[in-house]
Amino acid sequence: MDISSVQKLCIHLISSAVQRCRLSEGLCRLSVVLKSSPPIIRVSISDTGTGSCLEEFQDLKCNREGIGTEKWDGLLSIKTTSISDNKIYHYHLNLRGSVSARRLTRLPSIPKNDAKFSGTEVCLSISETIDALLKDIKHYFQKMLILKIPSVAAELVIERGDASGLRCENVFLPNECSPLNFSSSNVERLKSGLEEYVLKHRNSLNNKCDSCFCSREKLKISSGVASSMESHRSPGLIVEAVIAISELSESLCFRSSGNKTEVLHFKDFSPSSVSIASLNALTSIDWRSYGLTLVSAVDQVDHALIEWESLPPYLHIDMVIHCYHKQYPGKYKYQPDRHLIKKGVKLALDDLKEKHTGLLLSAHAVKICSYAPDLASSIAGIILSSNDLKFRSKCSTLLELSQSQAIGKQTVEDRIKEKIISVIETNDRKPEKIKEAAPFLFEDDRPQDLDPADLYLEEHAGGDNVFSFPD
Amino acid sequence: MDDLSKSSMKFFSDQQLCFADILLPHEVQARIQVAVLNFLKILSFPDPAISDLPLINRKSSNSRVSEGILTDVSWIFLSHSFCSRSLMKANATKAFIRVWKVMEMCFEFLTQEKRVTQRELFYKLLCDSPHYFSSQLQVNRTIQDVVALLRCSRYSLGIMASSKGLVAGRILLQEPNQEAVDCSACGSSGYAISGDLNLLESLIMKTDARYIVVVEKHAIFQRLAEDHVFNQIPSILLTAKGYPDIATRFLLHRMSRAFPDLPILALVDWNPAGLAILSTYKFGSIGMGLEAYRYACNVKWLGLRGDDLQLIPQQSLAPLKPRDLQIARSLISSTTLQDNYRQELAVMMQSGQRAEIEALYFNGYDYLGKYLAKKIVQANYI
Repeated sequence: MDISSVQKLCIHLISSAVQRCRLSEGLCRLSVVLKSSPPIIRVSISDTGTGSCLEEFQDLKCNREGIGTEKWDGLLSIKTTSISDNKIYHYHLNLRGSVSARRLTRLPSIPKNDAKFSGTEVCLSISETIDALLKDIKHYFQKMLILKIPSVAAELVIERGDASGLRCENVFLPNECSPLNFSSSNVERLKSGLEEYVLKHRNSLNNKCDSCFCSREKLKISSGVASSMESHRSPGLIVEAVIAISELSESLCFRSSGNKTEVLHFKDFSPSSVSIASLNALTSIDWRSYGLTLVSAVDQVDHALIEWESLPPYLHIDMVIHCYHKQYPGKYKYQPDRHLIKKGVKLALDDLKEKHTGLLLSAHAVKICSYAPDLASSIAGIILSSNDLKFRSKCSTLLELSQSQAIGKQTVEDRIKEKIISVIETNDRKPEKIKEAAPFLFEDDRPQDLDPADLYLEEHAGGDNVFSFPD
Repeated sequence: MDDLSKSSMKFFSDQQLCFADILLPHEVQARIQVAVLNFLKILSFPDPAISDLPLINRKSSNSRVSEGILTDVSWIFLSHSFCSRSLMKANATKAFIRVWKVMEMCFEFLTQEKRVTQRELFYKLLCDSPHYFSSQLQVNRTIQDVVALLRCSRYSLGIMASSKGLVAGRILLQEPNQEAVDCSACGSSGYAISGDLNLLESLIMKTDARYIVVVEKHAIFQRLAEDHVFNQIPSILLTAKGYPDIATRFLLHRMSRAFPDLPILALVDWNPAGLAILSTYKFGSIGMGLEAYRYACNVKWLGLRGDDLQLIPQQSLAPLKPRDLQIARSLISSTTLQDNYRQELAVMMQSGQRAEIEALYFNGYDYLGKYLAKKIVQANYI
């Protein structure tokens, strides 16, 4: 793969390390150590995951247009061992130069003396400002936290080789806010990860914001998983989508991002760029049936940005999509198609609607609900203007109101309105829109069968009596 | 109220007939209450729903003709095809709610034992729920929906349609406990027909006329009344000033039963609208098909007809307007039109022209009376 910058190179190496950790059973540690002695930074990425194979590194392509030789000399120092090996292999790999010159230099192996462990260490020296590199690495780790990969503890150590000799550490642990056990599924972790991310105002805080999220009701989260079957031609793919809706009364701490949603993307347990399939999937969903109108979905490199037509001011939507292969590792180039992504997102939306009444009501349902008060008022009016006590008491029973005489119109009206709205909301949640049984015979303004009476009226409207309506 | 037409043999059409009952106020209220109870019941089911309103279809596809075998009165009636109004259909939600709102208002009036006109109802609804009611026509249509839903006549709901009808001529009409009115002495404006059907039902009628003449236009009615044409040929003049309303038809029907020997003759313009008016007196209408069938009368077409065109100057013929053609098409597709009427209509359409009764004045202002007399005497009506 092409590396275009030292930051990308480092991220790629860290990402590979993460994958190796994920694959091993048991706890793993990942350390990224940056020793800065300006202008050089010595980067060391070590993990206690499964051993790595050389192809991983030999596949890296580094062309002259990408990283300049002044930034990196192209040398990687690799030490790796698998659990079954009895020594630690040590290589130097020079990725620059022609193929013949790109040679592996085997260095003497280090004996393990019957100790059972596995791991890899990759070292390289680059010439870069530490802050630029740090920013990207930290950003990567924060994003990775959303995935909440269990059993990986990551640390970032920076040693500044200046006079003060400062050393600082950042530790990234997966289970901070909510407990998850190892048997939680991937999608549960993703949910938990996104939840934390949102609670911390998209990682702008270190801890969750209690003032904005004072109650559990403020954040509604749901997930959908869509998977494709494995076949000899394509690997099994899984798409997980998690959607979080936060209802904040006032965005005190966080400047409201208005009508936009960042859709974070992950591919095979690593932050990824946005694929065309994903953008297509997002734009092809029928958002109107969830009460939303999509204006645009744009690729913003590390996330997709969706702009909505109008959201209630206090409502904010966050989304994350993770596509991965059932089997890993693999060199599959198979991309998930938009149908699978669309299905995953829709499942998440339906799940949200199912669990929370009144949320994501389609525009149609909202419109009909707006008429419910008037209908309730009419029916309540009939009930209360009746002198027939038996009738009124039957109505009270049906509405589950007490039988006392002193029920006011407002109470009756409110109860009827509640019931009507609940029916509308329930109907809205049904995934299959039930086709109207009766054809559309009477629309508001469509004239009925030409009634000669109406036609005559139109012609003679100017006559004796302007409002002489027949019959 | 057994009238002749009901006693004629009509087996199958009976089963198909859908009609609106004429009920007392408390009976109508009972029906409204049943509607409310059913709605609430379905709303409270374990699998609740908002019920649709089943309305009898008021379209020509649901209309049938009853041809009396022993009498010569046929009428249009509606059969059992339904359409429904639903809250959930995006464009029909308001129409659904309108029906309930009119029911609510009628219920109130019935409790207070008040009667209101359609106009008054419109204003009341406009003040109450301006978002739902924007025109009189809409209110009238909603009232018809309520009639179709509850299957009771509009009058039973407590709604009166103001009548535009007038009577003049050789008839005495007496309201109970009132003085009898001599319609021949009413001047050119005649006796105004009330919109209150109960009142019309209770009128005591006496006549020595030999014919009943139904006139389309007010101006012609006035002319004939002023000229006392009803004294030259003993007759009763009746007009609804255009398209007939229920009250006028009701009274005409009463007259036809009270005085069965009097032929009923219609004097209309020579255009599709005139024929449509004649048809409504004769057969009833689809729009009010649940009630109108009761008041069908055996009306004959006196004039203007095709062969009268020679009596008027060529310049008084005007071209048919698009609306005329619409009405004509609607008439042609109706199954009730007898052959000779169809022929007249065909001539109208082919010539593309129309003529008004006033064209006869070309021959002098008193010509109309003479024309009428001549035609009646010659029994020149179809």
